[in-house]
Order: sequence, then C-alpha cells, then structure tokens
Amino acid sequence: MALSTPTIQIVPVLMLFFFAFRYNDLHVFELQEPTRVIEWIGEKSVCVAGYENSKKNEILQLLLPQKLYVKEKQGLCPERDFKVERGGFSDRPVYSLRHVPNTSLLVTSGPPDSSLQVWQLAAEDTDVVKSVSTIPTGNDSKKPWAKIATTLARTPCVLHGSRVNNVQITEIESKKNIYTAASSISDEVSGLEFLDCNTLLACCVKGQLCLADVRQPQSPLGDTSVPSALSGEQWCMGVSSGLQGSDVNAPAIARLSSGGQLTLTDLRNIPKPLKSARCKVSAASQSAEFLCVSWAPVLDGCLAVSGFNGTVHIYDTRNWPVSGGETEPLFSHKGHIFSGMDNGGDFPLVTTHAWHPWKPRMLLSAASDGSLHVWDWAESHKNS
Amino acid sequence: MPEIKVTPLGAGQDVGRSCILVSIAGKNVMLDCGMHMGYNDDRRFPDFSYITQNGRLTDFLDCVIISHFHLDHCGALPYFSEMVGYDGPIYMTHPTKAICPILLEDYRKITVDKKGETNFFTSQMIKDCMKKVVAVHLHQTIQVDDELEIKAYYAGHVLGAAMFQIKVGSESVVYTGDYNMTPDRHLGAAWIDKCRPDLLISESTYATTIRDSKRCRERDFLKKVHESVERGGKVLIPVFALGRVVFATPGMLHAGQSLQIFRKWAGNEKNMVIMPGYCVQGTVGHKILSGQRKLEMEGRQILEVKMQVEYMSFSAHADAKGIMQLIRQAEPRSVLLVHGEAKKMEFLKQKIEQEFHVNCYMPANGETTTLFTSPNIPVDISLGLLKRESAIGNTPVNNDFPLSGTAILSFRLVSPEQALKELGLGEHQLRFTCRVHIQDPRKEHEMVLRVYNHLKGVLKDYSVQHLPDGSIMVESILIQATAQSEDQGTKVLLVSWTYQDEELGSYLTSLLKKGLPQTTA
Repeated sequence: MALSTPTIQIVPVLMLFFFAFRYNDLHVFELQEPTRVIEWIGEKSVCVAGYENSKKNEILQLLLPQKLYVKEKQGLCPERDFKVERGGFSDRPVYSLRHVPNTSLLVTSGPPDSSLQVWQLAAEDTDVVKSVSTIPTGNDSKKPWAKIATTLARTPCVLHGSRVNNVQITEIESKKNIYTAASSISDEVSGLEFLDCNTLLACCVKGQLCLADVRQPQSPLGDTSVPSALSGEQWCMGVSSGLQGSDVNAPAIARLSSGGQLTLTDLRNIPKPLKSARCKVSAASQSAEFLCVSWAPVLDGCLAVSGFNGTVHIYDTRNWPVSGGETEPLFSHKGHIFSGMDNGGDFPLVTTHAWHPWKPRMLLSAASDGSLHVWDWAESHKNS
Repeated sequence: MPEIKVTPLGAGQDVGRSCILVSIAGKNVMLDCGMHMGYNDDRRFPDFSYITQNGRLTDFLDCVIISHFHLDHCGALPYFSEMVGYDGPIYMTHPTKAICPILLEDYRKITVDKKGETNFFTSQMIKDCMKKVVAVHLHQTIQVDDELEIKAYYAGHVLGAAMFQIKVGSESVVYTGDYNMTPDRHLGAAWIDKCRPDLLISESTYATTIRDSKRCRERDFLKKVHESVERGGKVLIPVFALGRVVFATPGMLHAGQSLQIFRKWAGNEKNMVIMPGYCVQGTVGHKILSGQRKLEMEGRQILEVKMQVEYMSFSAHADAKGIMQLIRQAEPRSVLLVHGEAKKMEFLKQKIEQEFHVNCYMPANGETTTLFTSPNIPVDISLGLLKRESAIGNTPVNNDFPLSGTAILSFRLVSPEQALKELGLGEHQLRFTCRVHIQDPRKEHEMVLRVYNHLKGVLKDYSVQHLPDGSIMVESILIQATAQSEDQGTKVLLVSWTYQDEELGSYLTSLLKKGLPQTTA
C-alpha cells in the first residue's frame, strides 16, 4: 500500500509498524497491572494476574473480544474489548497460575514461599474469584516459589515443586499427597508438566530433564547429566500440547537458554538432542525470569520464544540449519516495544506469551508495562 | 442527620435509559431523562409516577440536568416536560442545547412517520421543551436558587457532554453521565478537580471492559476501507449530519442522501456500508445489521443487499480503569454505580472499596439508596502538632488522619448589625409585660399620678416621665394603668420593657409590688 506524503506526516510510528508487519488482526490492551501469566480457561477466556510484592494483586478472568472466538470470519465486530468476567484478590504476587481442565479450579503460586493457593472461578451469584484453600509445602521458607502443573486424572491434582527433590503431586480437594519424587538432586526446577496423567516431566534451571512415572513412586526421578552444550546458562522448557499429530513427530521437548540457545529433544532419547539453533537476540538475558518457549498447537514445528526483550519471535524448526547456528525468525512481534515508546519509558520486557488453541497464527503476549496484545500475523508472501 | 437519596428510575434491571432522581438537603434534582431505545411502548419512558403520584412535578423538582445529547439520556425530555408536565429549569451545556432538538426531531420523525406511532411528542412539544432550557458553560457555577448550585465539568465522550456537580451548602453530589478518560482524536479526556463530593454517581455499563486501543480500531477500519477500494468497490459510511440541516439526518439509512446512495450501491458485493453507531428499530440500518438482506422499499420494491455490511463503534465509554481514575481525581466520600447488575459487579465494588476506602452502592432501578452525610468543619492544624504526630509515625492515610489535639475556637467581635447581616438574620425585639396589682381605691388617673410621684422620688438617676396619654415612661419602660380589675379597690398596672432593659424592668416591678407609700402628696 502506498502511503502518500501527507499520510506519513500524520500517521504515528505505531501505524507504520502495523502496516509494515502485516497483521491480520491486532488488539492492544492495557491492563492496570502487568501480568506474567496467561492461562486459557476453555477457548474463550484467559486468566491473568498481578505480581507486585507490596500490595494486593488482582486475578482476572478475561473474556476475549467476540471476533476472536467466533469460527466464521466476521467483519468489524463492535466488540473489540476484553470483558472482565471475574476477578479476585491475592495477597501475594502471582508468579504461576494454572487451571485444572474442565473444572472451575485455579492454582497459583508465588513468593514468599512454595505453598500453593487454590481458587474457585465459577459461582452462581457473584463474579468474585474466591480463595478456597492453601496447600502448604513444608516449613522451609528458603525454598523458592513452586512451579506448578495441573491435571484432571481421576480428581483434580497439582504437580508442584521448587527443587527436584521436593517435586510432588497433591490432590487438590483433599490436600492428600499422592506422589513424591524419590530424588536426591536439589537443583532448582524451572518448569513442570504432566505429559499424561501418569507421566511427569521436570526441567531444571541448569538444563536437565527429569522424567518420572507416577505409578512407580519409589523409582528415582530419571535424571540425566547435563550435556556440556547446555551448561552455564539458565533453561526453561516448552512441551508440545496434546502431542497429537503423526507418529513421525515423536513427543518433542523444546528447551530455551538465557543465552538464546534452542534445543529440541525426543523423550525416547533424552541425552541426544534432535536439533539445535540459536535465536536471533542481540544480548543474552540477565535472568531467566521471563523466558518462555512454547510449541504452536496448529502450525507444525513452530515455536514461540519470548523473554529477552520486548519482542516475541516465531521460529519454524523445520527450517533450522544443520550446523545449529543462528536462525532467522519466521515472524517477530515488536508491538510491545512500540507501546513502550508511546509511554516515553524504558522498553518493556515481554513476560509471557500463549498460543490461541485453534487459530493457527494467533498469540497473546504480555509485557512488564501492563500491555496485553492479541495478534494474528499474516503469512509472508515469500516462499520459505 | 443530613441525608442524600438516590433513585435510578425505570423498570427492571435493563440498561438503556438514564434517569436518576437525587434528593440532597431537601432539594430534588432529576439527572438525565432518557428513552429506552429497545421498547416501542411506554416502557421506553422512565416511570415518573415514582416522583409524585398526584402533585405537580414542577413543585417537587428543583431542576432537571441533561448530561449530553444521546437519546438514552435526553430522549424522554419532551414527553416529560410537555406531556407529563414540568415547567422548571432544564440545565445543559450549550452544544447539548444546540444538538438535542435536532436529534429529538429526527427520532420523532422515525417513530411517528415511519413507524406510525401516535402517543408520542410533537415537533411543537420539542420546541416548547427547549424553551425551558438554560444553557451553561463549563466550570461556571449556576445558582439554581438560594441554596442549590450546579457546575458542569468536561466529560469527553461526545461534543457537549458534561459531568455535573450539584451542591447544597456543604453537601454535594457529582453525576458523571457518560464520560471517557482516554482522549480521542477530536475530544479530550474527562476531567474534574478534587472536589471531594459526598457522593459520585457513575454509569457502570462498560465498567467491566478493558478497551482495545484506539489505534487498533482505526487500523482495522482503515484496512477494511482500503481492501474494499482496492478490489474496485465503494464504501458508504452514513453519519449524523448536524449543523446545516434538514431535519432528516440519514445516520440510520432511513432517509435522505445516504439512503439514495445505499440503494444504488446495495446490489454490488464489492461495495461496503459501515454503520457507525446504534440504529433505531425500524430503520434500514437496523434491518441490515440484523442480517436482513432483502428489504422492502417504497412502492413495494424489493432491494437485494449484496454489499458487505459492517458495524463499527468508536463511541468512547469509561472502562474499569477509567472509573478508578475518575474516583482518584474527584475523591468522593462514597460511590454509586447505576446500570450494572449487582451480581456481576461484586468484584468492581470490592476493588473500589479496597482501593479508596469508600462505600460503593449499586441500587437496582427503582431502588432508593440513602446516604448519611456528616458536615465538614475545616480546621487549621499547627505545624508543631503535625510534626509531633509524624515523629510517632502517625500520618494521613487515604484522607483519614485520627489525632488528638486541643481545638481553639477563635472569636471575632462585631457590631450586632454586622452579625445579623452576616448570619442573614433579622433583628427581633423581645418585650416583657408584667401585671402589678396595686391596692388603691382612688380613681385610675389619681393612682397613676401617685405612682409617678413615687417613682420620681425613688429613681432620681433615671428619667421618669408622665406622658400625655396617661402612661409613665421610666427610661424605655412603659407603665400603664389598665381598666381590667375585679374590684374597685385594686388597680392593675401593666409594666412593659424590652429585653435590653431586663434589669431595670425587674427592679421596677418588684418596687411597685411593694406598694405605694401611704402618705399622699
């Protein structure tokens, strides 16, 4: 589209950025407090929550603008706004938030200790998210906050822990402990996932992956030594959700380091990574606090990466060079940088991102300035 | 205890018609007078019978205030003033006064001419109604009467929209109408000073939304237009035309230029029509937005609509963040939200209460909320006291500052006349009259003479006069003989003095009660 001169003069930088990067859809919201969690509740709502230390934080369940969850292509829907369906108040900062699928239960965790808070979303007569209970985890306040994952096996359960040797599964309603990892490793955990209701996976900050079968509680958490390629940096993981797809695609785990290294691993052969590449980032991230990597639910082989700066990168792992060197992203979402410019402040840091469950190229991303974007990038015309 | 009462008028829980009754220190004000656009019968009007069953509205209401020209805020005004009956003042800003009659007439035309309704206000009624309007400027204090004053603040939202402060003595209420806190391309953000009203009344219809940025909306809109034009189509955007007008504004595609163009372009699927706002039932705009693609036009002609139909709304309302911002600006003692379902607003209520430590009320339509206000007494605090409190860690928190001190009230000495004037009081005279019985068989006038001589002899330092009409004057005290007595041997004297002469009056009375000396002159 040709922009005539007068238009360029009055169109601010943001508008140019929109046209230049060719989005199908772009929504820019400003939350009152920044969030570092985005968790889907069904297909129409997401939960976000504040992470301030000094005051009460809000947990919000936001209903997506109508046009983002209708199946047919709608024109200009009048409804472009998020609707706050429910809200609650948390005394502590929320660093991690998970929904138990098919229930109205939420579990959150955050400093100052590794205990968990359980919340009830749905109630007939109120829109307040109620605090239901707390799951305490020992008296050691030196443990960092717990990472969590949730599942609905027979009953709602939460997998949680801050170090490999305190990874455990607790039944939410009864608070009964139903599994404890038998491990002596005290390394800090950066992520936990249920691969299925019997298999759990932990990723350590140092980079190791630990796999365990819940049905064999006394067997040690399968640990692996840290491959040299992975040492020195802080790591997090992304697990392909659903893990459906053809047999050719074995369950692949993506690990991301604070230096920008991306490694793909087949769970059947953890010590030998499948593929590697380096993200296009100008500088290594000082901390792994907001590092986030996730697989696209629809686009085969695509990963989203964020946490280094104000951008979210999309990588197509099928195109990675064999050498394992630096790779170009398929797409780069820079919206959070531009919203930072508008506010005249420092460039914000993307705190988290999440893929839309079924729209192939749609993501949500949040940044440290409170911005929350929903974007759908247009397929490049270039042959890739 | 002084109280403020608020009642949102209307039936049921439905949104879409703003009309709020406020009672403050004995004054009654009606805020907005809107029409519900979704109903075709009397349910579209607020239920005015709530105000007074059989009295005249003019006697009951001190004034009516209209916040802006949207029909859900002013649509019922002509019905209210001309058909129900109200002759008092109606306040609104100058732009609102200019635009209201145009929209009202347009709406009337659609309802009566297009839909054939009969129980509706006429053009003359709109004109008569507007004659009762008093236009106000922003930040101008208007004295409605000796005690009631109002002031308009900028609200953004649409041209002429205002928030109003209503003040009686030390009690005040702020009504926001519709407002927005983020500036638009042609309008600024709402603003109010730290006026600390007892109550802030705000709409809460959009309070639970988080708005998409203006630029994204505009981008989407421009993209649509551009795509249409690129593929060879044309885009029609019917808007309200105000100013140089014929009364038929074609904003809802119901008449005029835009309808003609629409008919020409409707058959081509490359074309697009973008409706910019709410369309009243019965208009072509409303029908095509509802999905109708075959329209019956004049002369029973069927028009097939193949062009793309889009709806875009740039109208700006305050979202959750905006409400918090406004409360932070105005610092009200309490907040009242109208037009929200209480069940679905519990979180917002808690949020407001926790953040600002104020009460948050959410009455349903027809429900009255009563607030008790406590009067403010302004007090200067000495620096020494403040420093001492601060040293022990006592500092103000959210406008709460409990502390102990000694209050010294300062006095001024002024002339009584000035005091009366300052307080707005008239001077009253107090006069006492006392009856004294005197044993004296002589005639009245002889008795009076004896009294006179007696008093003259005793009260050598005072002026004692025998007046021509037979009464005696001691200073300003009047002594008169009265004919009323049961027997000849007893005479009755009336001794009368003002409050200022209380001491002398009492002395005189007791002196006379002792009786007259026996010897006669």
